[in-house]
Amino acid sequence: MKFLAVLGLLATASGAATTGAELRFLSCPVYRDTDAGKKSGCWLATDPASGIRYDITTAPTKADWNRAVLVEGRVAANPADNPCGGVVLEAARVSVLDRPCTRHMLPAEGFPGRKFVLPDRNVRPLYASHDLPPKPWVAQNFIIPFDFDSDFITYQLSDYYLDRAVSYALDVRASRVDIMAYAATKPTLVSGERLAEDRAIARSRAERVRDWFTMRGIPLQVVHIRWQDAKVPRPGPETDMLVAPSLRVVDIRITPGA
Amino acid sequence: MAAFNFRPMMWPIAAAAILATVGIAQPPSPPPDRWWKPDEGRRFPAVLDYENDYGVLRTLLIGGPIETRDHAFFRAIGPDGRACVTCHQPADGMSLSAASVQHQWQAVGPRDPLFAAYDGSNCPSLPQQDRASHSLLIDHGLIRIARPWPPLDQNRKPVKADFTIEVVRDPTGCNLDPQWGIDSARHQISVFRRPRPVANFKYIEAMGFAYDPKAGMPLPVDPDTGKPVSGNLMADGRVLSLQSQMREAAGTHLQFMKAMDRKDIAQILDFESRLYVAQQTDRVGGALEADGAEGGPRKLADSPAGRLGSQGVAIWSEFAAWEKPAAIVKDGSAQTAFRQSVARGARLFRDRTFLITDSAGITSPVGFGNPVRNGCAFCHNMSQMGMDVAPGQVDLGTTNQPFADPAPHLPLFRIRCLGKPHPHYGKMILTSDPGYALTTGRCADVGRITLQTLRGLSARAPYFSNGSARDLRGIIDYYDRRYDIRYTEQEKQDMVNLLKSL
Repeated sequence: MKFLAVLGLLATASGAATTGAELRFLSCPVYRDTDAGKKSGCWLATDPASGIRYDITTAPTKADWNRAVLVEGRVAANPADNPCGGVVLEAARVSVLDRPCTRHMLPAEGFPGRKFVLPDRNVRPLYASHDLPPKPWVAQNFIIPFDFDSDFITYQLSDYYLDRAVSYALDVRASRVDIMAYAATKPTLVSGERLAEDRAIARSRAERVRDWFTMRGIPLQVVHIRWQDAKVPRPGPETDMLVAPSLRVVDIRITPGA
Repeated sequence: MAAFNFRPMMWPIAAAAILATVGIAQPPSPPPDRWWKPDEGRRFPAVLDYENDYGVLRTLLIGGPIETRDHAFFRAIGPDGRACVTCHQPADGMSLSAASVQHQWQAVGPRDPLFAAYDGSNCPSLPQQDRASHSLLIDHGLIRIARPWPPLDQNRKPVKADFTIEVVRDPTGCNLDPQWGIDSARHQISVFRRPRPVANFKYIEAMGFAYDPKAGMPLPVDPDTGKPVSGNLMADGRVLSLQSQMREAAGTHLQFMKAMDRKDIAQILDFESRLYVAQQTDRVGGALEADGAEGGPRKLADSPAGRLGSQGVAIWSEFAAWEKPAAIVKDGSAQTAFRQSVARGARLFRDRTFLITDSAGITSPVGFGNPVRNGCAFCHNMSQMGMDVAPGQVDLGTTNQPFADPAPHLPLFRIRCLGKPHPHYGKMILTSDPGYALTTGRCADVGRITLQTLRGLSARAPYFSNGSARDLRGIIDYYDRRYDIRYTEQEKQDMVNLLKSL
């Protein structure tokens, strides 16, 4: 019940760009062609409930101007920061949906956009130096976030956490890797629509994560997968403390070998 | 690009110099050592220079020369008398230029093993004495690649494709041929592609990251070794290792039914892993490693491979010294102007951004956005080589309508996606080459082609996997059209001069 109350609050959180408020809405994205170098364009999406246009550019998954998006995020603390012509959502998450949209592009109109900065969550190259974790090795847990209704490993978000998990498993010669995948199957009202993940996506997530381990050299027999419907949100750093995305995760527990 | 007519300037440098010195008149035919025939038994030197339209291409064989007699790369195997070298010629950057093909047709005709019926003609069922039966190879430098349908995975098991394919246009006749077509007992789809350069493999095989962001997966694993591989071999990624490529080539292009033995494979691997190819000298700009620049193949041999240019050595910073006015003579000469142009081209390559749209591998499924503003170096990101550090299967639109240039000489296929529509084309796609989709069986991969190395371009026109860019300017013009870049005329020339110098 507590979970439903939280989601219900999210669904109706509209009308004003309240700092820190967690938003969730469906929209057709608009691209603003600012040019401050590579990856500097802006993505905007309007919350149909409030009519407020948000700047969703910082989401790890960028939008596709031909397809609808599910936007999740929190209104940024600094309202004066407006590089794209929209209220900035921080900790933004964008899920690209299989719903068509009419593509639309705005000119820069004086907005500078953002100069690209390599995000903190990026996978290190193979040629970078790498130290083994200090002994004694202990069991560790990892959480891998996913976009809505997707099992794709999101670039510079999910891949960062999953690479850490796989690297740890390799470093400590894991004797067991337990993978538990979740899907947000409970319908919630978003922008007037009931939205729920397909139950099968949990299994797909589990299998994809398993493949990451086995393709990197972890023996198949030590990797154990399970999947189930998500019951309780567990906001954490992997989801930037957002509530709804925390239902779309995979938990990994790695037990070191001898 | 001017026709390749084997004027004296096209000869190997040593030969030309000798002829010039002793004042011998221009011979009526090219010297014998530009085209490497199978079983010639020549020595492959440690440094091998050939002229081309823009200057001199240099091939380095690190570790010293080899004798090619009985060497597996140079030995004719199979019934057609073909060898690996037939389609991977040193003068053509270890690839094969259309100009060289035209010369071989004029000089030797259909008897040359290059024109073997299996893949050196438009279709094996055509009359092999006729030039028209070899038109795609002669006019466009295209080899017939017969792909199984449905696709086979790395273990030769059928892949359940999520699309159907039908033949819309079949100018070669091969896709509807009762013996060789899609409905024949062979169940083959014939696509036509340029041979890829066999050199600089340190870079092609390099793994910069453990993951392929385009697929959201770890690098592919070679079934032979169980080890990850770069995923950058072959236009459609159909084989994952050089060993597999050799076996595949032996069974198809060379019509050598027995698999190569381990000794042959080891010999070829040794040879190929020691080859570095790049343009060494420009006819106008002079030495490409002069005045602080670092062009030419030596730099390739000496540098670590698989580095991401955006986080390390910037792509084409080999020519950074020419960006500094003090480093070049301000004499207003053509050489100075060329070098400045190359330096500008390198900067354009790195810094000029444009909107990349509807290009699977970039704008889907990885979340870069559609569109995404970026430049050439977004995908051509590997230091020194200009290929993709990640597996580089990208749909530029060179084979897919509406982006592809008209190509009435090529077959046209209609792809119908059975499951999810293609993220950019929808349920139905018209393509002259489904590319990577012929390996994966995924509709979302139609038209994705593995990026190539950008070295030795001057020696191996035409360009793109289907030869649709006749010359270097054609490459720039295609990108300019495809992504509405709006290069100025000067910028186009700067980019061409950069590509000439690689």
